Amino acid sequence: MNDIITNALLLILQLGVTVLMAPFIFGIIKKTKARIQNRRGPSIFQPYADLTKLLKKEVVISENASWLFSFTPYLLIASTLVIVILVPTVFAPLPFHWIGDIITVAYLLALGRFFLALAGLDTASGFGGLGSSREMSIASIVEPAMMLSIFAVAVTAGSTNLSIVVRSLSTTPASIFNPSHLLAFVALFIVTIAETGRIPVDNPETHLELTMIHEAMILEYSGRYLAFIEWASQMKMVIFLSLLANLFFPIGLATVLSPAALGVSIVAFVAKMTLLAIGIALVESTNAKLRLFRVPDLLMTAFILSLLSLILYFIVGA
Amino acid sequence: MPIIDQQTLVRSVDILATGILVTAFLIISSKSLTFYVRLFAFQSILLGMLSLVIAVRYGETHILTAAVLTFVVKAFTIPLLLNKVIDRIRVRKEVDFSINITVSLIICGAIVILSNSVAQPILQVQRAGSLFTTKVLPISIAVMLIGLFVMISRKKAVTQIIGLLTMENGLFLSGLSITHGMPLIVEVGIFFDILVAALILGLFVFRINKSFETIDIAAMRSLRH
Repeated sequence: MNDIITNALLLILQLGVTVLMAPFIFGIIKKTKARIQNRRGPSIFQPYADLTKLLKKEVVISENASWLFSFTPYLLIASTLVIVILVPTVFAPLPFHWIGDIITVAYLLALGRFFLALAGLDTASGFGGLGSSREMSIASIVEPAMMLSIFAVAVTAGSTNLSIVVRSLSTTPASIFNPSHLLAFVALFIVTIAETGRIPVDNPETHLELTMIHEAMILEYSGRYLAFIEWASQMKMVIFLSLLANLFFPIGLATVLSPAALGVSIVAFVAKMTLLAIGIALVESTNAKLRLFRVPDLLMTAFILSLLSLILYFIVGA
Repeated sequence: MPIIDQQTLVRSVDILATGILVTAFLIISSKSLTFYVRLFAFQSILLGMLSLVIAVRYGETHILTAAVLTFVVKAFTIPLLLNKVIDRIRVRKEVDFSINITVSLIICGAIVILSNSVAQPILQVQRAGSLFTTKVLPISIAVMLIGLFVMISRKKAVTQIIGLLTMENGLFLSGLSITHGMPLIVEVGIFFDILVAALILGLFVFRINKSFETIDIAAMRSLRH
C-alpha cells in the first residue's frame, strides 16, 4: 500500500515538474535573447499567460477539416505526457520505467509528429503541406542522430532503459566525463535544436513562408488546440533538455527516496535546465538561420558526430 | 612524484585527441575559408596542450620544446599567414566541391573505422609500451587520412594547404603516441619545413590568383596546352 502511494507521488512529481516547468524554460530563452539584443523583453512568466489566454479563446476550424484536425492536439499532448513518464527529471528510476525505453520514446515522438504532419495536410492550405513536408524530411535525418547519440551513452550503462541508464551513470561518476560522451552531447544538442525548431534550423518567431517549418504546420490551429500544441512543444523542449542534463551530467540527481535528496535534485535540475536554456538562447542569438538546403548538412554533422561517439566508445572505451 | 598521475594523463589525452578528430570533421563540414584557418589554429592548440600534458607527465624536455613550437608556429604564425593570404585574394568560400559535404562526412566516418582496424596490428606489437598509445594511434591515423581527403575533395588552393597541415598534425600526433615524440632535431626540422611550406604555398596561392584570377585548381588544367 505504501509503495503505491510513493509511486503515485513520484509520478505526480515527475509530471508536475515537466508540465509546469515547460513554459518557464521558454520564458527564460525569450528573456535571455531579449537581453542579448539590448531589449527588456517580456517577463519570464509570459508563456504561462499566453497559454491561459489561448485556453480561454474559442476554436475556429476550417470547413474542410476532418476529424483528424481536432483529434491531433489531444493525441499530441497524450503522447508527450507518456514520454514525460519515461524520461527521468529529478528522480531515477521512475515508477513506471518498465513501460518503455529510449526506442519507445523515439517512436512516441514520431507518432506525435506523424499526426501533426497529417493535420497540417488536412486543411489543404498551401502552407500546411509545405510545413509538413519540410518537417518530415528533416525528421528523417534527425531521428537516427538522436538514437545513435543516446545509444552511445546507453552502451556505457548496458541498457536502453532511460531510468536505468541515468541511475547507473549517476552512481558511477567516473564514466561521466569521457570523449565519447562529449561527442554524443554535441550531437544531441544539435538534435535538440532541430527537434524543438530553434534558430539554425527553424525560427519559432516568424511566419515567413520561406523559412517556417513547425509554424507552417500549425498555422490553421487556434484557441485551446493551439494551446495544447504549443504546450506539447514546450514539454518536448523540457524532455530533450532533461535528456541532455541527466544523461551527460547526472550530478545531484536523486537515486534514493529522501526529502533531502529530492530537494537537492530539484534545485540541481532547475539550475541545469536554466543553464541549458541560456545556452540555447546564446546559440540562437549568435547564429543566423540556415538556408533550408543547408540544414541537412548540419544534421548530417550531428549524425556523424553521434556515429563517431559510438565508434570512439569501442576505440577509446569508457 | 610526477605532477600529473597516469589516470589524469590518459583521460586528458583521450579528450584532447578526440577534440583534434572533431576539428578535422568540422573542417570537412564547413565551407568558409576563414573558418578552416580558425579550426586549424584550434586543432594546433589542442595538439600543443596534448604534448604539454605528456611532457609534464614524463618530464621530457624535447616534447616540451615541440609543444611550445606547436603553439608558436602552428597555432599562431601559420594561421596569421593564411589569414593574410585570404584577405588579399578576397576569396571567402569554398563553392563547388568534387564530393558534397554529406557524402564527405560519411566517407570520413568510414575512414575512422578503417584507421581503427589498420592500427590494430601496430598496437599488438606496441601493447607493452606507453599506456595511451592504444587509443590515440587510430585517431591520429584518421586525422592524417582526413587531411588527405580534404586535399583530394576540395578545389581551392587554400583548403589544400589546410589539408596538408591537418595531415602534418596527424603525423605529429601519431609520432607522439608511438614513440614519445621524435628526436628534437627531427621535430624542429619538420616545424620549419611546415612553416616554410605554408609561406611558399601562401605566396603561390597569391600568384596563382594573380595570373588566373581564381584559386580553383581545376582552372589550372589550361596549363597543359
